[in-house]
This record gives sequence, structure tokens and C-alpha cells, in this order.
Amino acid sequence: MTSVLTSEQVEVAADGAALYELSLEGRWGDGVPILAATDERILAMLAATPYAADHVVGALPPQYGVATVELAAVNAVMAGCEPAAFPFVLAAMEAILVPEWNAFGLTTTTSSVFPMLIVNGPSRDELQIDYRAGCMGGAGGRGSMTIGRALALCLRNIGGQRAGETSRCVFGQPARLGMCFGEWEERSPWPSLARRRGFRAEQDVVTAHGGKGTFPMADINNDDPRDLLHLIAKSLAFPLSNMFLGGTGENGEVVLAINPIWADRFAAAFPAVESLQEYLWEHAWQPIDVWPAGNQEILRSKSRVDDDGRVSLVRRPDQIVPIVCGGLGSLHAIALPSFGESQMQSAVVNRSAG
Amino acid sequence: MTSASTIAIRLPTTRPPETDGAPAFTLNAPVTGKVVGLRTDLAWRSWKLIASRWAEKLHAAGATTLEIETGAQVGKEGHDDRETVNEWSEKVDFGIVGLGTCGSCTSFSVYDAVTLEQHKKPSLVVVCSEFETHARNMARFIGHSNLKVLVLPYPLEARPEEELLRIAEEYYPQALELLGVQA
Repeated sequence: MTSVLTSEQVEVAADGAALYELSLEGRWGDGVPILAATDERILAMLAATPYAADHVVGALPPQYGVATVELAAVNAVMAGCEPAAFPFVLAAMEAILVPEWNAFGLTTTTSSVFPMLIVNGPSRDELQIDYRAGCMGGAGGRGSMTIGRALALCLRNIGGQRAGETSRCVFGQPARLGMCFGEWEERSPWPSLARRRGFRAEQDVVTAHGGKGTFPMADINNDDPRDLLHLIAKSLAFPLSNMFLGGTGENGEVVLAINPIWADRFAAAFPAVESLQEYLWEHAWQPIDVWPAGNQEILRSKSRVDDDGRVSLVRRPDQIVPIVCGGLGSLHAIALPSFGESQMQSAVVNRSAG
Repeated sequence: MTSASTIAIRLPTTRPPETDGAPAFTLNAPVTGKVVGLRTDLAWRSWKLIASRWAEKLHAAGATTLEIETGAQVGKEGHDDRETVNEWSEKVDFGIVGLGTCGSCTSFSVYDAVTLEQHKKPSLVVVCSEFETHARNMARFIGHSNLKVLVLPYPLEARPEEELLRIAEEYYPQALELLGVQA
């Protein structure tokens, strides 16, 4: 029987440890054990999408390897994705291929930026996309652990992204192995991220954020939501943020992950998410004299300093993006700082009709 | 067909499309009377200083310079920057683009230098040694493996001004030679 699959096939020892060794030797693994990309598993992936095996999702930087659905499926199998999660991988790839996400720059930068995937929609539980305690690492949901990893493997194996070679990333970050988590929509007092970006509640949506890492904040001393949000805003505006590096602050978003307990507190003061964003934006600045003269000159040359000597983190309130997720232990928030020269993109998940 | 002790798997990799490098161009003429494009980047003060010294030397040799500065990669500003580079490429006789001394700024320096080549203009991208391979890789990945690359010492940042000016003097002849400028 002739297979619809055309990617290169090799015969290997039917042994997990041997396959793992092979992936390391061939440099198509990510350092973590992989599953064997057998035809049966790949075809099961393909059956979960409406796309043909040879459908081209796009050319992935930095090498501009052509990402067919088949090749993406091979990488998704290796990552441990279940077939139902594969359309989320394709949606993530579509999102990062939007030029304004800037995969050309982000896959090659010295910065520790990587696609951070935020999932909204009805399939989060079914696919074990973590959005409660430990959602950004450690909860161990299969969807969370494999969707982001599959995208990372695609960037490595199709895009040719290799640390220290085509990628000049100085430090990397744990998310480089893949990062995918959901929003706890049911505990959010505000419309979900996907709803705010124009999608419907019944749609599964993947949003790709070019995030530089997980930036933790903690507090036990403030009862007033405005006081706490003031401190959060000041923390977001740390002086060596990429947003202050010399651009105008027009591009990029800072994601603020708020735990459900704090979300309720904040919503009491800011029932509309736009008013919350406005308040955060009003306080996310630093006085110009925080920076030495060299930085000051650059910030002034880009009109970043207002009449009161303040330098805002971003130009607009909508560039601070609150989402609700995490455990019920309260006390903490996490920011996902921006690379700056990247704009968050969302894509709807398309499944096969069958 | 597999034996009981083996399985057949598909490999996850692909090779980038192999293409002949697009042609690069050389001036084969003196700079006198020519319009020379200099593209600097908001991020790199060291390169701005070197480029300004080269502009002085080009003026002294009878050329005029058309200087632009970029700073964004996406959004309206990124679009405007690429549009500026495109229009600038139309106006100049040849151009020098820098600086590649980080990952994404090298990628975009290569991209902007390639825009000059797409206008059939002699083009030179200036990078620091740490990013030379990256620049050549990126040029190859976008089909312009023949792009001329001038390699400066690394790092340039945090060097004293007089040292940067010495580097400007030292590498100026090499820049002209790569571009095919005749005495």
C-alpha cells in the first residue's frame, strides 16, 4: 500500500532508550525522551485535522524550512501529543507565522524570548491544558506539556533553530522546551483573552506571546487592590525591560497572570478589564533619573519621556494584558515580559469534521 | 517492512530550499559624485560613531551620503522602517548597513542590506565577528548567500571613543574594497 506520507523514513531499534540516543545523535531531539514517529501515529494526527498531509502551514525561520502538516505531525508525535491536541500545534504555528509576531527576529535574537502559548476555549480540560495550580510548569497536564513542546520541536527541526548556531539566544529559558497553559476562564471576572481578541466562547483559540520568561511577584501586605496594582505596575516597569531598550514602546505586550483570588479583589475595584489595564498603564512607569545619562539620552531621543519626567513601560493600556490562571493559594502574580519587537497573535483551532 | 526488533519511523527534519545565491553587485568606479547610503540602528551608538566617521571620509572623497536610522522590527514603526529602507535603496548608488551585533539586529541588518541588492545596488552589511556566521547564514536562508559582509571586532560596545574611531579608520578601506570602489 502506498502511504500518503513522504517524509524520510528510517528503521531503528524498537527500544525507547535507543530511540532517545538516536534523537540526540541526530540532533533532532530536544534532550528529553521522545516517542517514535511511526506511520500509524502520524496518520492518527493527520486524521484530527482538516488538512492534507502535504498542506503547507508556512516556512519556519530561521532556515525557512517548509512546514507541511505531515512534518508538524511527526514532531507532534515525538513530543507526545495526542491526536486531539495536534490542531492546537498547528494553530500555534499559524500564530507565530504572522509577520507581526516576528519569528524572523525572535528565532534568531540573543534575547531569551520564546513562544508562550495561552489557550482559551472549551477543550482545556479534555486535553489537560493546565490553567489551575502550577499551570506554568509542574502540573503535568499532557496538553500543556506536549503542545508547546511540539511547536518547539518544529522550530528546531523544520525551522532549523539551534542554540548558539542559528539562534543567538544567550541564556535560553525553560519555556524553550515548550510552554503552553490555559486561562481559568470560569474564575475570571473579565472576558477571556480570546474573547477580548474577537473570538467566540465556543472556539478553541491559541494565543502566542513572545515572552522573555516568567517574572514573579508576591505580596502579603496590601489589602487595597489599588495599592497592590500600583506595586505590580511598578514591578512590570523594571528599568532593564526590553520595552525600555530604545524603541518607542509602541510594540509588544506584557502579559500579567493574575491568580483567581487576586482577580476577584481587583475586579471589585475594576469591573471592566479595560479600566484595570488603564490603571496599570498609568502606574507602569519609572522616573527618567532611574537611568544613567546614556539611557536617558536614548529615551529622550525616542520621545519616551513625558513632561513630568516619566517614562512609561508601553504606549497604550491594551499592551498590558491581564489573564487569570494559577492556583487558589493567592499571594502571587507572574508577568511574562515582552521582547518588544513582537506582537501577540491568536489563531483559532481547526479540527477535522470527522 | 520491519523486523520484530526494529520499527520504521519518520524523521522530523527538512532541509531548507537550496537556491543559487542572488547576484551581488559591485561599484567598479570611484566614489566621487556617488550617493552613498549609510544605515544605522538606534540600538548601536558605537556603529553610529563609526558610520559618522566614514561619512566624513566619503564626503572628503567627493561623495554625498544619505543616512537613515532604523529601530523597529514590527508594527507601524517596523513597516515604516522597511519602507524607508526601500525608498533609500532607490536613491543611493550603493549602501552600507549596520550593525549586526545581536541576533535579531543582525537578521534585520541582513534583511535591509538584501533590499539594496534587490534594487541591484552594491550592498555591504557590517557585523561584529561574533555574528559573522549568523549573518552569512541568514543571508543564505533568504537567498542572498553572496551578500558582502564586513566583519568588525567584537564587542564594540563599551570601547572608548578613540578606539572606535581607530576601528573606523582601520576598516574603511576594506569596506570600500568589498563594495568595488576604485581609487
